[in-house]
Amino acid sequence: MRTSAKARRTSSAVVLYVIVLVAFQVFLITVAVEAFQTDTESLAWATAAVSVALFAAAAAFLRYLRP
Amino acid sequence: MNGDIEPVPVAPPWKRDFPYEAQSEEEVTRREFARYLVLGAGTMAAANVGIAIWTQLRSINTGEPRAIVDLAAVDIGSTYLFHYPGNDDPAILVRLTDTEVVAFSQKCTHLGCVVYYEESEQRWHCPCHEGNFEARTGNVISGPPTRPLGRIDLEVRADGTIWALGRHT
Repeated sequence: MRTSAKARRTSSAVVLYVIVLVAFQVFLITVAVEAFQTDTESLAWATAAVSVALFAAAAAFLRYLRP
Repeated sequence: MNGDIEPVPVAPPWKRDFPYEAQSEEEVTRREFARYLVLGAGTMAAANVGIAIWTQLRSINTGEPRAIVDLAAVDIGSTYLFHYPGNDDPAILVRLTDTEVVAFSQKCTHLGCVVYYEESEQRWHCPCHEGNFEARTGNVISGPPTRPLGRIDLEVRADGTIWALGRHT
């Protein structure tokens, strides 16, 4: 199946976005562990919320990936 | 000739010269790769939620009243290490005067390092990032911490035993 150059570029961009989001998730894990160590519940919950939002965004990006 | 005919894929010259198949040639497509990444992101999101729940549950536990040590066993100006409310929660008490005893969580509220008592300065000191807390109240004096030390309520009972009653975070 042939795909246009635009579709290929979109797919590459999506994969790059997802890679950046996953890298940010790794950072959020370190923030969560830090919040755990210092018993900062508010920070831990904020980190969890952002992390779930990033996961949802990454999953949504998959829709734009060509088959 | 019709221009819509799909071109027949031609094997590259090296493939014709070396027509060997290897298992490693099975490629992971871009979509599969992205799926693995999203799966990893989901795992990390779940871990973050788990850590948040664990942090919340740990702070809910303020501890049950229990005996810590005899007052007579702690000299004025000296400290006693114990664990409260759980066995993984380091705590420290100091006898400030003949009758006054205070106790705090030993974890610095900055990054969780262990604080120790500096009698000459009458303060709790965190050596990791030079955080300092007041000896009596646990309030921040200087350094990067923004929250006071977790205070543990104490009671000296009639038999001279120091009891921990509960923890404030």
